[in-house]
Amino acid sequence: MAMTESTAPVRYRDGTAVVDLPAQIDASAERTLNEAYATAAGHGSKTVLLNFGRVEFLSSTGIALVVGILARARKDGRTITASGLSDHYREIFEITRLADFMKIYADESAALKGGEAT
Amino acid sequence: MTSKTPVETPKVRDDAANWAVPAGRLRVGEVPPGAVNLNVTGRRLVGPVQGFGQLWQKTYRMRLDGIAITPPDVIREWKANYGAFWPKGNHFYAPQAGIQPGVVVLINGESLGGVEVSTGIEVIYADDESFTFMNAEGHPAAGIVTFSAARDEHGVSAQVQVLIRADDPFYDVMLPIYGHRFEDQMWTKTLVALAAHFGAHGDVTVERICVDRRRNWSQAKNIWRNAAIRSGFYMFGAPIRWVRRALKEGREA
Repeated sequence: MAMTESTAPVRYRDGTAVVDLPAQIDASAERTLNEAYATAAGHGSKTVLLNFGRVEFLSSTGIALVVGILARARKDGRTITASGLSDHYREIFEITRLADFMKIYADESAALKGGEAT
Repeated sequence: MTSKTPVETPKVRDDAANWAVPAGRLRVGEVPPGAVNLNVTGRRLVGPVQGFGQLWQKTYRMRLDGIAITPPDVIREWKANYGAFWPKGNHFYAPQAGIQPGVVVLINGESLGGVEVSTGIEVIYADDESFTFMNAEGHPAAGIVTFSAARDEHGVSAQVQVLIRADDPFYDVMLPIYGHRFEDQMWTKTLVALAAHFGAHGDVTVERICVDRRRNWSQAKNIWRNAAIRSGFYMFGAPIRWVRRALKEGREA
């Protein structure tokens, strides 16, 4: 099987660091995700938006990585939000109860506007 | 003339069948003999963000060198014999359906003072190379446990990774006294038994990282559903239940 490129570029919009998560989030994405968070944190953004728009495979190890980022952000006084989740990934966030602790928006624009999460 | 080199399209696996479907409250099918469904039916799952204590990530790993096996071989055998690899005194009431997403399993774990803690887990994820449990409310640890096998340049290794917080203040106090030691023994012995199943021997490496040192004081209320306390009351109430049952049967006779 061909390996998918594991990159998570970080963009900055309206004071928010937007992390475009890679297509495959499993054990192989650990370094990519940690580096992306470190980049976002280094920029000083108080809010980090995890954009799941490109994600096509998420394993439970990948969820553990997201929890790790959530915990670090909490420690650093940052807010983590999420956008671009398919119905399937929303379900996963429900099962793991991550949805209780993370605002989820339909898309990036809605997330940047803030307000009521969906 | 130009020639085009075919570009391999990156393939991404499909994870849809690997995850459990959210069900809200837990439901248990038939209760196996010896199991106690005291703290599972009607409960919810608790993840690492719902627990009380510090967030710990602990990774237990064992190499299975010198054996011709693949990671899917390891996971297949692990799923099929899961309970048999647990240390004595702990019971995993394996469901007939096997370890697959959405299955709820009752467990009895040994604890201090001879109390058998009755609790449970749900299999929230399973694929060919890993499977994950999430604990029911009242379980000593709020969080997820992932069992996996992987190949690197040296060979195949098996791993247990827990991402947990003590679920309530009682468990949080017990964690340094008993909990960490119990958990280390639990997963170390499990990996040793798994390796022995394949004819491998060796040492288990343990890595402990405190991901978040702060406590979730808003979750202190979790103590009301503490499975150890409830199991203790249930256990010590057994003679009273026995006398009541005998009296009832006597009246009916």
